[in-house]
Amino acid sequence: MAVFEPVLLRNRDVEDSTSLSVYESRGGYGAARKALKMTPVEIIEEVKKANLRGRGGAGFPAGVKWGFLPKDRTRTLLCVNADESEPPTFCNRVLMETDPHQLIEGTIIAAYATQSQIAYIYIRVEFHEQFHILQRAVDEAYAKGYLGKRIFGSDYSLECYLHRGAGAYVCGEETGLIESLEGKRGWPRIKPPFPAVEGLFRRPTVVNNVETLCCVPHIIERGADWFTGIGPPHSTGPKLFCISGPVKRPGCYEAPMTITVRDLIEREDMGGGMLPGKKVKAVLPGGVSMGILTADELDMKMDFEDPRKYALLGLGTAAAVVIDDATDMRMVLRNMARFYGTESCGQCTQCREGTAWMHKIATRIAMGAGRIEDLDILLETARNMGMMPGLSICGLPDGATYPIETIVNKFRGELEAAIRAQAPERAKTVLSVLN
Amino acid sequence: MPKITIDNQEIECCNGVPVLQAALEAGRDIPHYCYHPGLSVVASCRLCLMEMMMPNPKTQELQWSPKLVPSCQTPVRDGMVVRFDSERVRQSQATCMEFFLLNHPLDCPVCDQAGECHLQDYSFKFGKPESRMVDQKLVNPKKDIGPNTLLYQDRCVMCTRCVRFTDEISGTHELCMVNRGSRTEIDVFPGRPLDNPLQGNVVDICPVGSLLDKDFLFKRRVWELKGTPSICPGCATGCAIRIDHANDKVYRLKPRFNPKVNQWWMCDEGRFGFKYVHNKKRIRSPLVRRGYETLTPSWEDIPEIVRFRLEEHVREKGAAKVAAVLSPFMACEEAWLLARFVREIAPQSVLAMGPVPMEGEDQFFPVGAKGDAVRFTILKEKCPNRRGVEMVLHAAGGDIVTFEQFTERSGKGDFSAAWIVGGYPKPWVDKNTAKMGANFELLVLQDLFVNELMAGAAIVLPSCAWVEREGSFVNAAGLIQSFERAIDPPDTARRDGQYLYEIAGLPGLYTGERVRERMAEALPAFAKAYAAPELPVHAH
Repeated sequence: MAVFEPVLLRNRDVEDSTSLSVYESRGGYGAARKALKMTPVEIIEEVKKANLRGRGGAGFPAGVKWGFLPKDRTRTLLCVNADESEPPTFCNRVLMETDPHQLIEGTIIAAYATQSQIAYIYIRVEFHEQFHILQRAVDEAYAKGYLGKRIFGSDYSLECYLHRGAGAYVCGEETGLIESLEGKRGWPRIKPPFPAVEGLFRRPTVVNNVETLCCVPHIIERGADWFTGIGPPHSTGPKLFCISGPVKRPGCYEAPMTITVRDLIEREDMGGGMLPGKKVKAVLPGGVSMGILTADELDMKMDFEDPRKYALLGLGTAAAVVIDDATDMRMVLRNMARFYGTESCGQCTQCREGTAWMHKIATRIAMGAGRIEDLDILLETARNMGMMPGLSICGLPDGATYPIETIVNKFRGELEAAIRAQAPERAKTVLSVLN
Repeated sequence: MPKITIDNQEIECCNGVPVLQAALEAGRDIPHYCYHPGLSVVASCRLCLMEMMMPNPKTQELQWSPKLVPSCQTPVRDGMVVRFDSERVRQSQATCMEFFLLNHPLDCPVCDQAGECHLQDYSFKFGKPESRMVDQKLVNPKKDIGPNTLLYQDRCVMCTRCVRFTDEISGTHELCMVNRGSRTEIDVFPGRPLDNPLQGNVVDICPVGSLLDKDFLFKRRVWELKGTPSICPGCATGCAIRIDHANDKVYRLKPRFNPKVNQWWMCDEGRFGFKYVHNKKRIRSPLVRRGYETLTPSWEDIPEIVRFRLEEHVREKGAAKVAAVLSPFMACEEAWLLARFVREIAPQSVLAMGPVPMEGEDQFFPVGAKGDAVRFTILKEKCPNRRGVEMVLHAAGGDIVTFEQFTERSGKGDFSAAWIVGGYPKPWVDKNTAKMGANFELLVLQDLFVNELMAGAAIVLPSCAWVEREGSFVNAAGLIQSFERAIDPPDTARRDGQYLYEIAGLPGLYTGERVRERMAEALPAFAKAYAAPELPVHAH
């Protein structure tokens, strides 16, 4: 197998890679210049042909999304979702802190393709350093005339604003992000109308993830055929993968979507294997929301389709967390439940109450006062939440149920054994403390 | 009109309404919290979910939707087929109800809402009998959010109707949501309590016992209350209301849906404006002065006494010396009976209407709204029936004067006998009016409260508050609306309509409808009074 040449991270190890001059010296902004000579429809067709699927988690084709905009659009807005809030994920962070101009270039092309005059970059509030890097890059681009009025001397103008979030997980959901940008409480909106029809400030809006937009300049520069040549047909293009946990080289790596979870952990140019004395017990392969894999399921391909075969929700953010054999699954369960219990926005009943209840149950189990029937209640609660059965407005509860459901299903034996081994006296104490 | 099929039953519905509204109007009890037809749709309680027949995207074959669909968010389309009566829907309702009750304190025995609580009703009908949660309940705090309202956050179901009300109807934006997830709370901003002229409505639209009216708090269990449909007499808007009373005491007023006037709302001024009804200073029995004596005759003798005294006066002084002042607080029927009687005894008598109370300016809501954006209006004309009395006066014809002209002419000694009707909830006799009392040889005073005119009155008849009467009011838009009697008058007082009916010499008992039939000869508009449609349970 030929060595994969990094695309998105090609500037990562270059000195001063965040400056415009370095970016341009390495061929930057060529794609944007080229794109502005094309028609918007040509760009959309090219991106559709490249089958660029959204990197934010759901994997929706970006070109198709742009195609949903009304034909006679004049007031479209582009939002860049840089609210990377999925727990073990840091692909967007790496992109923004090492190559901010790549994102700006992608934004220019996408905004031109969607005929947006304004682009908002909604950046996670915890990204302090990244915010300043990106702000500097935007200022540089403005100074050079790459943003603002009549970009590259063409007729096209684009204003680009950075907006910092306020620390809510749900604002990474596109309509939650839109509400938050409007200055409201980040409660996802009911659909229809979809953002492409009526979104930010009631104008047609496209929301794209940072990594998705970073792919766009390369598609324009090298063509859709080059892009589809990378990875399997349903999951084209380069993808960033994060790996964390007790591996030798935790970090963010770029690869085509042909690698398996095992590759990500074991390969020398990636995770580099487990730390000495540690063994894989489980892996959360796509951020926490997608569900869990056991040590026997590491041959799952990290693409958009394969995870479904392993009862997972999808590829998600492709950020794997490795859990070693010293970890108590009850703690993992509780950790997952706690995250969603505190991050549910509180709008839909099932999610608001269900996540909090699962958190309580998981806490009790983790502290040694669980009951076998609690596992069934967890499963039932998980089944009674989410957008897929139509029980919520956004996908957050789906993300909450998959880890719980897969942990309980795949590690039921261990959990039951742990519950049976509880000391009754301790359980009593725990109950009296909790209640 | 589109036709849709709900659970194999075809119903006709209005264009563009949500399926939920169509189902509720058809009498189906579909559980829901966040939906209110007067507010925007948020589809967040996820209780009104339904199954919908839709074509399979691959085969185009009709099938039940794989997802449940919120019926509040789905507008009706002709030929639509939906169902609520399925295992999946019932199961989702049951789990949803279990979720609602997870952290609910179940303090129904001390909760004001118990008995009219949608959480109780839906739990009985759609929920599960027991909770499986063994953990500690999350207790959200109780808060005092305004001069008239308490918020028990632990009972809240987060439907956000109250927040949307202050955003969309009152336009005052006092309420908001704070915190996240199950710790989300309704709250006000520091130093900005919930205090606007419409705030009482948030208590009405709260489907559970979370928002509570301080005025009604712990006063009475709601199942002991009897509701009587009525019209608010607070201003000329004429909002449809319900009088909740027990043992001849009014406990609270609630708005009643009226698509033509107030929709679902009423203002606080009207809501809390009934207190004068139980004021101890009301006139409670008829009084007749003869020489230095004051007698309290029985009601059976009153018609004869009144008729005799007036006839005697007309014989002595002439019919043109008689005047009657009708009150804008009278029902149309009472005004008509009185005008008819006075004109019968004294055909040349002068008729007038008492002062029309005006306070401040008209208020439009949402605050700052104009034209079509106005959702609710409080008028400065603080009486219910100026137009109705004007209609009666107009039909009576002859010498009709304004109250100012009446005062002026009585000062000149134009009238020696007068029948003055008060009935104002607030003191209305000013210095000029009080002085006027001495001008009459025969003064019949019909009023609610003891006042300065009483000293010179030959006959005093107790007036009743509107909750004790029946009849009709004509509101500012000219709509004739009937109201019913809720409670009995205090002590020996009798309803105005009843004694006026007897004095007028009409046979049988007074009812508003019976009098309206007679009125319709001269005033055809009164043949039919408007009554707002009654709604099925849990419908809006």
